[in-house]
Amino acid sequence: MRKFVLAGAFVGLGLLVACQPAAQKAEAPKAEKKKLSSKEKFKIALANQDKWQKACSNPTQLVPEGIDVETFKKEMLATVKFPEGGVVGKNIARGEKLFGDPKKGGKSRRGNCYACHCGDPKILACGNIGPSLRGYGKRGIDPKDTYIRIYNSWAQNPCSVMPRLGYHGVLKPEEIADIVAYMHDPNSPLNK
Amino acid sequence: MRKRTLLASAIMAGGAVLTAAVAQEQLPTHLKELLELGMHPGHAYVDEGREMFHTPGPNGKSCATCHGQDGKKLEGAYAKMPRYYKDIGKVADIDTRILACMTKYMGYDKNDKKFMKKFKKWNGPYRVPLASYVASLSNGMRIDVKLDDPQEKELYKMGEKLWYMRVGARDFSCGICHTVLAGKRIRLQGLPDPVKNKVYAHWPAYRFGSDRMWTMEDRVRSCFKAYLLYTKQWSKKDWVKKPPPFSDWVIALELYMKHAANGATVEVPGLLR
Repeated sequence: MRKFVLAGAFVGLGLLVACQPAAQKAEAPKAEKKKLSSKEKFKIALANQDKWQKACSNPTQLVPEGIDVETFKKEMLATVKFPEGGVVGKNIARGEKLFGDPKKGGKSRRGNCYACHCGDPKILACGNIGPSLRGYGKRGIDPKDTYIRIYNSWAQNPCSVMPRLGYHGVLKPEEIADIVAYMHDPNSPLNK
Repeated sequence: MRKRTLLASAIMAGGAVLTAAVAQEQLPTHLKELLELGMHPGHAYVDEGREMFHTPGPNGKSCATCHGQDGKKLEGAYAKMPRYYKDIGKVADIDTRILACMTKYMGYDKNDKKFMKKFKKWNGPYRVPLASYVASLSNGMRIDVKLDDPQEKELYKMGEKLWYMRVGARDFSCGICHTVLAGKRIRLQGLPDPVKNKVYAHWPAYRFGSDRMWTMEDRVRSCFKAYLLYTKQWSKKDWVKKPPPFSDWVIALELYMKHAANGATVEVPGLLR
């Protein structure tokens, strides 16, 4: 009987010791971080509009008069970060998935190119906002320009509707390089 | 070999025509038939709303107590909304107005989380059915939103600014798709022009794509979904999904669109893709 009590006491002590830091850990961040309400979050999201977005926020949705287009382009070009392995990636399969997974009818949560562009002739559900990308690799475009256009389209076409995917961090530089590889690969369905 | 390419291109051209046709087709045939038979799915919401309109709240009053049997005094009210209301001291759209009525005059408690959750839900018994019913009372009347009150004017300006405001991780604004690029397609979905084409006349609308009734509040908030970051870091918790319900941002955009629809005839519930 006494053994049991002792054992129980030990277990109890052990539990106390084990639980204490965990309990402290759980309490600590609550005091530090105040949860933002959805109203505050939305306010911050609107306030985070950058100066280039602000320039494009006019009824024509184009660069307004008084802002130099070339300076705009230069400033945007300065934000482009290039990957270590060069602008043409090696993982073409990943590039295809990011461009639009053919197994899922061209869906992709991050690249989602088919929303606005046509490409692979098998995928019929493609938008017509951007130009068709069929035969893109045969047009003699420098892969570096392709990379810049995906990373920050405003470096070439200010205030374009095309999201600045790399600039906002939607796609990482290596991932964009893979998309470039997919688009310029002679064996990709875009170029066949 | 050349024959084969010709054939392939012919098939592809056929496919393109077909997809274009699918994109233009607004109503599938089975829904057209339903409409001809008088079995519009949105009417179920209107009927539910009519029942709710005559159901007493916690203090024994129903909507009909003030607004008259079958909403007699509310005919034409929706055509003038959103507008400034003296009793609540702000500009309200239909959702906000219903919430204010229920909490101010019918004895529902705004701080009761259970009630608020039920109210905000699209398939709850209050907001969507009541909005559909009250809106349907203005059927056949012309939309006439006036900007007389200074608060209305201010909110209208805010709405116009928001419409063209490029924000978030995708650099979009309402206007770039729905004014500048209207008529183009996102995949197979055509982009409407709600400002020029006065589409507000058909809202609240039953959308068969999602198989439910939407008020304009739902529509505006869902448009914001999925492209607003509140801190510039790509992780899930940095996303703002929607502006909060009944907030000035939503009402401002509604006011902007509805003012643009002035002169159009109210025809609700709409039946849209």
